[in-house]
Amino acid sequence: MRLVPGVLGVLAAPVAVVAAEAPLHFRLVVHPDAAPAVLERQLVADIFLKKTTRWPNGSPIAAVDLRFDNPVRREFSERVLRRSVSAVRSYWQQRIFTGRDVPPPELDSDEAVIRYVQSRRGAIGYVSDRVETGAVRVVPLR
Amino acid sequence: MGECNGGPSAAPWARWCGAALSGLALVAVATPSHAQDTAASEDASIAADAPVEIHGFVSQGFILGIQNEYLARSKRGSVEFSEAGINFTKPLTSNLRAGLQLFAHDLGPLGNYRTQFDWYYLAYHATDWLGVRVGRIKVPFGLYNELNDIDVARVPILLPQSIYQADHREYLFAQTGGEVYGDIALPGAGSLEYRVYGGTLSSDLPRTAPEGVTVADVRVPYLYGGRLLWYTPLEGLAAGMSGQGVRFDVDYRLDADYLAGLQAEGLVPPEQGAELPVKLRVIRWVASLQYAAYDWELSAEYSRWAGDIYSRTPEFLPPHLVNERYYVMASYRLSPWFTPGVYYSGFFANVDERKGHENYQHDVAATTRFDLNAHWLLKLEGHLMRGTAALDNPTLNGGANRADLEPTWGMLLAKTTAYF
Repeated sequence: MRLVPGVLGVLAAPVAVVAAEAPLHFRLVVHPDAAPAVLERQLVADIFLKKTTRWPNGSPIAAVDLRFDNPVRREFSERVLRRSVSAVRSYWQQRIFTGRDVPPPELDSDEAVIRYVQSRRGAIGYVSDRVETGAVRVVPLR
Repeated sequence: MGECNGGPSAAPWARWCGAALSGLALVAVATPSHAQDTAASEDASIAADAPVEIHGFVSQGFILGIQNEYLARSKRGSVEFSEAGINFTKPLTSNLRAGLQLFAHDLGPLGNYRTQFDWYYLAYHATDWLGVRVGRIKVPFGLYNELNDIDVARVPILLPQSIYQADHREYLFAQTGGEVYGDIALPGAGSLEYRVYGGTLSSDLPRTAPEGVTVADVRVPYLYGGRLLWYTPLEGLAAGMSGQGVRFDVDYRLDADYLAGLQAEGLVPPEQGAELPVKLRVIRWVASLQYAAYDWELSAEYSRWAGDIYSRTPEFLPPHLVNERYYVMASYRLSPWFTPGVYYSGFFANVDERKGHENYQHDVAATTRFDLNAHWLLKLEGHLMRGTAALDNPTLNGGANRADLEPTWGMLLAKTTAYF
């Protein structure tokens, strides 16, 4: 899903909402011990923007991103965070340089994300839907 | 099995049972539970795994003032417009974080590259809805106060100066004290972000004063405030309210000629000496509205700042003054590397005196941001101004009175920033 730029951009927001029904090309993955069976989009957005930092059972969340130029990252950012990758980077620049927080780590590949999520309790990430997820748990996004 | 009675007359199995239970109780008290062990080891793992995060930036700008000067002596252009910062943060546990940022800048007559702590803190985040931060902390006032000296974190070179004055950072940007903060989810109604703080300002405040007046001392006995932002259920739409109260105790010294002039005009009593202590209490608030979703950022804010001045010279220093400040701003990221924006801002120095170009300042600005790569950007910006209410720096414009300056004037700015 690409947003129409320029003066038509203002019309793109409702288009993007409608287009959100299109199938996702990424999957959410969590540590095998993580609690949720399904995750709401808003909660996932809050997790990756660090507005929510703990699972319902109180354990800390360790979110991990893909690199900013990864196409899976772009789709995740637009479909879940409802912001472009550039807008999310701007959000994090604001928080970094005002001392509020730092962003989730960025990893180079789906395999690196899977290794990260598998090795950390409470971890959550996202990977391409073409990748074998191994021992990590895939969680549907609602 | 029955009760465990470990007394001397009890059956052997009962004495064994009692001893075992007593032993287990002692072990339970003396040793943390497995859940506590797990939480403690998770915390230790988080602290051990997380490196010290280091980020920094360097900015260099250029200002050209057309007709009048603002921020720097700029009628022939000025490069006295630089910033540099570096910060270090580290999570100590999953709840505890520490950080600091060093900052240096030069803005016309201000800064002169003196390095100072921009912020430093220890933050304990008990839950998502409750945290405590102590140290030197950026002041949450409106949508953008915390970003005023962070070029990389915003679109325009100059934020709307009606509310976010770049040359008043010592008074506006950070406070030393404590803050309580948190995010509260409102199921079905979005979420609330709150911040409440109290403390004081740096003791090293600027001592700019008109010719004939010297600021002998400035003290800030207290500062307090807060901000509430409601992130509405409509994606990207937020509304907020910020408020702040602060008191300045200023000791002025008037030179003989200046004092004589004031006495001749009846603005100060004949017995007034060179020493003039003044207490200034300022209450300011701002109402904010923002839509930031996809690649749009639309903002509007309205603010009033009210000052009460307590002195022996009410004819010279008006006892009560309210000014009015507002803006509307829009930007759109046309591509990952190009974001244009525009804004209009208005400022009235005294809501009871709106006539005369020295009492207002309107600013129409157009700005462009070019993200040349992931660590380097360039901005170009132009301003068309009507009014001179904010041109109150006596070191610029030859110290001329605002009423004597050109009512219509402008600025062109360019700035580049590298960051990591």
